[in-house]
Amino acid sequence: MKNRLEEIRKQNDIRQEDLAAALEVSRQTIGSLENGRYNPSIILAFKIAKYFGMSINEIFIYEEEQGNETE
Amino acid sequence: MKQNKIGRYVFLSVIGFVIFGAGLVLIKLLPETDGILKTLPDICVGLGAGIFGGNLGTAIKNKTVLKNPQAAKQIEVEQKDERNQAIGNMAKARAYDLLIYVYAAMLLAFNFMQVDMYVILTLVAVYLFFVFANVYFLTKYHKEM
Repeated sequence: MKNRLEEIRKQNDIRQEDLAAALEVSRQTIGSLENGRYNPSIILAFKIAKYFGMSINEIFIYEEEQGNETE
Repeated sequence: MKQNKIGRYVFLSVIGFVIFGAGLVLIKLLPETDGILKTLPDICVGLGAGIFGGNLGTAIKNKTVLKNPQAAKQIEVEQKDERNQAIGNMAKARAYDLLIYVYAAMLLAFNFMQVDMYVILTLVAVYLFFVFANVYFLTKYHKEM
């Protein structure tokens, strides 16, 4: 699943370390999310959306052909 | 991390050291024995060393963490991190898949080497335990999720 996390984080002038600390996850998790290597749980996706005051749809981009992806 | 937890690990490591020492003393005192006494000292040494090392290590780690609350928080975050947990679970699942194949190959090899039947049967029982544990957890999680 693609996402706009890196773009939104940079727009808000936040470092990966600070975002990780605010969300109580490791910095590597933020890096993996931004690279698209890891898809977050629904809880983490909600936390990220809440942190930026946005909806999940505005950050994570669901594409139909990737619907069966498990990781 | 509470101070009393460190005390508990230190206490357990002392017990481990005593078991380890008792094992060494038994090896020296009982050089020629049969039955359980022949293996008991070795078990004591192995078990004692394990308990001593494991608990002392945890006590030292807890002591270090107690002095640095920021590091403690970071360790907690790393442990609870959902990606780390997912990676850990995937690694365990892969290791289980490997275990099942390697164990089966080992059983076959032991069979060709004409190892005693009771050894083979014990290993088969352990193999089946893992397989049934897998089926048990599959059923359990299907009901829960």
